[in-house]
Amino acid sequence: MRFGILLLALIAVCSVVGSVIPQGREVAYYAQTYRAAHGVILLLGLHRVFSSWYFIALLALLCLNLTLCSLTRVRALLHCGDAVERVARLPNEARLTDAGADRLRAYMRTLRCREEALGGVTVWHKNAVGRWGTFLTHLSILLTVLLGAAALYLPTVADKTCLPGEALTMPDGAAVAVERFSIEDETGRLDYASVLRVTLPDGRESKPTRVSVNHPMSFGAYKIYQQTYGTAGSVTVTNLDTGGSDAFTLTEPAFLSADGRSGVWYEALYPGYIKDPSGNVTLITNTTGSYPDPVYQVQVASDGVYTPTLAFPGDSVRVNGLEFTFNDPVEYPGLRIKKTPTVVNALLIAAFALMTVGLYLTFFMQPVLVRQDADGYAVGGPKPEGLRMELALLLRERKEEETT
Amino acid sequence: MNALFFGTLVLYFFAVVLQFAGTVFKKETVTRWAWRLFLAALAAHTVFLAARGVAARRLPLSNQFEFSAAFSWGISLLLLIVRTRFHGDWLTAAALPMSFLVLSYAALQPREITELMPALRSSWFAFHIGSAVFSYAAFILAGCAGVRYLSMHKKPDADELRLRQMDYMGYRLIALGFLLLTVTILTGAIWAEQAWSSFWTWDPKEVWALITWIIYAVYLHLRLRAGHSGVKMAWFAVVAVPVVLFTFAGVNTLMPGLHSYG
Repeated sequence: MRFGILLLALIAVCSVVGSVIPQGREVAYYAQTYRAAHGVILLLGLHRVFSSWYFIALLALLCLNLTLCSLTRVRALLHCGDAVERVARLPNEARLTDAGADRLRAYMRTLRCREEALGGVTVWHKNAVGRWGTFLTHLSILLTVLLGAAALYLPTVADKTCLPGEALTMPDGAAVAVERFSIEDETGRLDYASVLRVTLPDGRESKPTRVSVNHPMSFGAYKIYQQTYGTAGSVTVTNLDTGGSDAFTLTEPAFLSADGRSGVWYEALYPGYIKDPSGNVTLITNTTGSYPDPVYQVQVASDGVYTPTLAFPGDSVRVNGLEFTFNDPVEYPGLRIKKTPTVVNALLIAAFALMTVGLYLTFFMQPVLVRQDADGYAVGGPKPEGLRMELALLLRERKEEETT
Repeated sequence: MNALFFGTLVLYFFAVVLQFAGTVFKKETVTRWAWRLFLAALAAHTVFLAARGVAARRLPLSNQFEFSAAFSWGISLLLLIVRTRFHGDWLTAAALPMSFLVLSYAALQPREITELMPALRSSWFAFHIGSAVFSYAAFILAGCAGVRYLSMHKKPDADELRLRQMDYMGYRLIALGFLLLTVTILTGAIWAEQAWSSFWTWDPKEVWALITWIIYAVYLHLRLRAGHSGVKMAWFAVVAVPVVLFTFAGVNTLMPGLHSYG
């Protein structure tokens, strides 16, 4: 037990360090923030505590400790024999008056204990299943650490953005197509949601499935999460001579031109603007959700001469036989695509459930074993202190009532 | 709504003052009035949380103000249960000020009702945060039981059986808090996998919940396996309280992360 406590204490100390020192930053950050101490931080790996060799070694030792604890406990459980018979043989630990005996009997009945007569004594008992509590708890913690590590390190994760109507191809040949994306629901409330269709390498295809925050989509070994979103500019370019047109979705700065000299240099898209009474425009640089008043920041190039300008959806610019029409922006999702053995997640959640059951049995279903005869009573079981105290209080109250 | 909130705070304040006066001057009538005021405060507190929930059309647990108000309510509710169900009237003097202090902390937070952000719209929300509220409340009350034990055990007329009850109640509260903290961590892990794709991200709030869990796991081992009890475990329960308070408030203030929801 001492070794287990030492391991837990060391894991706690490492965790404190890992939460106080920001993890996984560039070396320059530590040099700038911690100055002289940064050498020690880097030397001891305090900037990556949770993936350091000593932290992993502590977890491995904890697993070993938990394995031994579980084995010790299961052996004790299998060789404990009949607890009721053992309690029946206990000597009395306190004497009982007739009234006290009645009170004890009534109390054990309110606890819904089973009553068993064995060789002239009465044994009250319940919650035999509670003996399994500590074993299940230790076993489930062991499983949680092992399966948690598997769930953390086995999946392959890719963060991708994809415009609606386009598809992403994964290294194994699976395809994720984004059919639609919206930032707000029909009531105008923020609710980032994509409609996706997944095709697995074996040709199986999912139905169009809505994916939103907290509601990922699972298909085959893939699990797809609505992670982020972006807003892209949309410009239609029309050739005024031929009448032909092309639509461009712009996620980064780009120069739209036919001859490389004249055209529109797209710089950025802003969510909105504020116009003061004198007509000056201040651009809003960030917002949550859909852009309320999108503004294109562009430069119009004519024969190598650039003129900065702001354009709004619906505006058009004509340059050297081309017409550039600025459309409403396009919203697109950022998806996290995780390929994971699904059985690991299922087993891990089963371990979680087992841990909860184990702790409940340990603390709230402890075996109750009380021996009572004509002279007195004794409390048995693995953790008798609580019941012993309750009975002492109960019988003292009885005495106080008798005295008054 | 504000009037109800501050009315509750004032009721708690007067309950604390009367409880203090009654305890110091050993006037049972005064402490009885303190308890009545406390019950009135708890009723007002319950109405406030219900009204807030109705107004927000969700559980009032989504930001630091709401969590603190619910946390204070959890302390009061557990105190009521311990006192009425387990004859824990000795706990009142230490626990009442904690309800008041946590609610005072809530009063310092922004109180406007905001729409639940998409990341918090999940069926795990109630289990994860609800269990955290009662887990922290149980740990705080265990600390209060420790304080009462330490203040009583050296008195020459101390009732040995009552001391054992305080000691045991401290343990029971920690066992309850530990089970609920485990539920908080595990439901949080499942929720994190649904929302962020990973069961565990070493976010500061997760790390400090784990640290708190480890500290109380050590307590339980010392108590159940090594058989420690009495003064040593009372001190342990008291010293662990700042860790709970740091996990509750300090992490959100000093260590921004995925759990920083305002």
